[in-house]
Amino acid sequence: MPTAFKLTTAKGLKSEIYVPWTPKPVWTPLTKPLSRCKVAFITSGGIHKKDQTPFNTAGDWSYREIPSDTPSDQLMVTHGGFDNSDINKDVNAMLPIDRLRELVKEGFIGSLVPTFYGFMGGGGNVDKFEHVTGPEIAKKLKAEGADIVLATGGCGTCHRSCTLVLRCCEAAGMSTCIIAALPPIARQQGAPRITAPLVPIGSNAGEPNNPQMQMGILKDTLNAMEEFDHFGQMKALPYEYRHNV
Amino acid sequence: MSLSQETLEAHLNDPAVLCCRRPAGTVLSAADFEDPTIFPDLVDSNLMTLKEGGLTIQQALGATLINDGEALTQLTPDLLDGVKETPAAPADEPDESDGADDGGPDACACCAAEAPAAPVAPAPAAGGYVHLHLDKAEGLDLVFPAGAAVPTAPAGSAAPVAASPEPEPEETPADRVLRTLVKKDYPVTKVVIGSETSYADGVLTVDGALVEEAKKANPLVKDVEMTVINPADRHVYSNTIMDVIPVAAKAEGKLGEGVTNVLSGAVFVLTGMDEAGVQVHEFGSCEGYMDEKIRYGRPGCPDQNDIMIRVDVKIEKGTGMERRGPFAAHSACDVIVHACREAIKNLDGVTPIKEETFKDVRRAGRPRVVLVKEIMGQGAMHDNLLVPTEPCGVKGGQKNVDLGNVPVVLSPNEVLDGGIHALACIGPATKEITRHFFREPLVEALQTDEELDLTGVVFIGSPQVNDEKTFVSERLGALVEAMEVDGAIVTTEGFGNNHIDFSENIAAIGSRGVPVVGVTFAAYQGQLVVGNKYMDAMIELNKDPEGFENEILADNTTTPDDAARAILMLKTKMAGIPIEPPEHKWDEAVIEANKKLVK
Repeated sequence: MPTAFKLTTAKGLKSEIYVPWTPKPVWTPLTKPLSRCKVAFITSGGIHKKDQTPFNTAGDWSYREIPSDTPSDQLMVTHGGFDNSDINKDVNAMLPIDRLRELVKEGFIGSLVPTFYGFMGGGGNVDKFEHVTGPEIAKKLKAEGADIVLATGGCGTCHRSCTLVLRCCEAAGMSTCIIAALPPIARQQGAPRITAPLVPIGSNAGEPNNPQMQMGILKDTLNAMEEFDHFGQMKALPYEYRHNV
Repeated sequence: MSLSQETLEAHLNDPAVLCCRRPAGTVLSAADFEDPTIFPDLVDSNLMTLKEGGLTIQQALGATLINDGEALTQLTPDLLDGVKETPAAPADEPDESDGADDGGPDACACCAAEAPAAPVAPAPAAGGYVHLHLDKAEGLDLVFPAGAAVPTAPAGSAAPVAASPEPEPEETPADRVLRTLVKKDYPVTKVVIGSETSYADGVLTVDGALVEEAKKANPLVKDVEMTVINPADRHVYSNTIMDVIPVAAKAEGKLGEGVTNVLSGAVFVLTGMDEAGVQVHEFGSCEGYMDEKIRYGRPGCPDQNDIMIRVDVKIEKGTGMERRGPFAAHSACDVIVHACREAIKNLDGVTPIKEETFKDVRRAGRPRVVLVKEIMGQGAMHDNLLVPTEPCGVKGGQKNVDLGNVPVVLSPNEVLDGGIHALACIGPATKEITRHFFREPLVEALQTDEELDLTGVVFIGSPQVNDEKTFVSERLGALVEAMEVDGAIVTTEGFGNNHIDFSENIAAIGSRGVPVVGVTFAAYQGQLVVGNKYMDAMIELNKDPEGFENEILADNTTTPDDAARAILMLKTKMAGIPIEPPEHKWDEAVIEANKKLVK
């Protein structure tokens, strides 16, 4: 700056545009038609196989490999951040594994990766999810040939952990989208794509035992991914389910 | 989403809300609270409600939950044991309590400070400068380095400078004029299509045979039609308006200096569609009646009384969304415009109705500023020609897409002398077209502002590919660092994915410690989806009542009013005076209030 100068200024000026503070954009365009895409699903909602070590509900950045042909009755939830009763009724409310297999069968998507990933994002260690868990999951999904990575968060911090992992996947060259029960958190944390059905934490992928809603949410999400053309876009989905715990 | 210890400190007085389900008996700590910065979004999406009578984070911290609590539950005294006895939570409308203080008999701290006319004691500001504010001087601020080494200030302290009745911050060093441009305006009162191109006695005659020449400009051009549209007969249907081009020709010197002859009262309007009947446009099109689809008087548009010479170009089927298609249309139109330029190059003996002088001037001793203009560079129909040979021309111009969208510096005079021929066909209301640059309000205002030293105008493209976006933003940062500026204004036309570049460009400058103001259309339709902490001083370009890209040509582009607010905001930010945070949503009242602060 020069040593002395005058400037006409004003007190009380207000910034005229609301600006969300987000991390740096990360973006992999979706270039294939859905029917040729290999799709992965990850969730930070604490889903794992019944024969796997449960998550530490106080905070856990480890993850579980869930073969995508696992029967849904062999899956369970370990998560202290929200009411588990919906997932206990139907794990598809958080990890819609049956619906995804149906989508392949009807040709809506090309195929599924062999392995899905479950982790427990509640109270998640940001540094570990960003620099260890995220890159590891991204590397494995990329190696399995995923074009698309879909995800659900669970609670608030789960949305954060989930978004951190999705950003790693996006950076590794896969197109990602979070189905968010708490879209403001996903957006604030820099999710590349967001769809938002009106669902409670704990049934982020739709009402339990309502395959029609679960399928609708998945299809609308995949279709929205073809519409989104840049980082940070969000689409509200016309599904509403309320859960009175 | 839980809070970290640092974020907790910043939000002690914000409402306490559980981030996640917590069992009875939980002793509340940072990890249990939701981040207050996203409350407005959570409330807007009906995910949460905030009631009166809630506790602050400070009050709830360390207290124990009596029952299990669900995520996003606002904490109230009945839910907790061991609540701290601290002042009640501020309601979510903090203005109400402030209002109660106003006018009360007890002067609050801020009123007390405003009472005396004497200057407030100088306090060292961030960056090692002393910032003085004098109420009587109507917003005059003096800024100089803190500490002893102030060579130009009287001995002792800085205070005597401020106390003098006519504060003069020392002798201003002489301005250094680098180049001078004179625009001579010649009137056009009538345009006729005839058998040769000439200009005499206010009549522009355009050779009708030029249309045939124009068709040969590029193999993609399939047809060209030319029509003269007088101000009284504007209710005519038109294909989408691709550009508005003034007739300006170098009479002396090269672009940015010497003399430019300009026709005043008539402009070319380029419109187009492809052979299949598809409008040459991208995000929105302004085909329709020309009296309705143009915001007359905007810097980029025809003025209220301008005669329009419409050149309608039909290009090869399917090329409208490729770079080559729109470029062909512009090339065809330029054949006609160029013939008119030739006719006004030598107007010796004709008296202009107006002469405007523009000076590229460096003002030593004033804060150095740079204007950064983001332009479209995403291929398809998004391109711009930089520094053509003739003002607003096509020939000789370099395509910014071919240049890799890297930042390119033009002198202010080069910009105002038609140094940008705009090929961009983004939404009509938000695009900056060729005439816009010829009379760019921010360039004009910054160039003549004696309080500032305008270093140059940087044009940076918005590339298609994400890693290219990062590359050009980083180059901008390095350029601005090398320029050693004290402040910057960053503008962008359009909205959507170019807001990603916009935010990265602002961060590239702001992260180097340079105060920066951002200027764009956002409003309702163009709300930003990305951003960073450097984007805290923003100017909204929207003029549409509903906040939309309304498909009226240039409606939401920069006007002199917008430029004045942006410059005031930059000066205020450079002086270290806080810019208040924005409302959570676009609010025209904020813009109106800012307008009133511009003297």
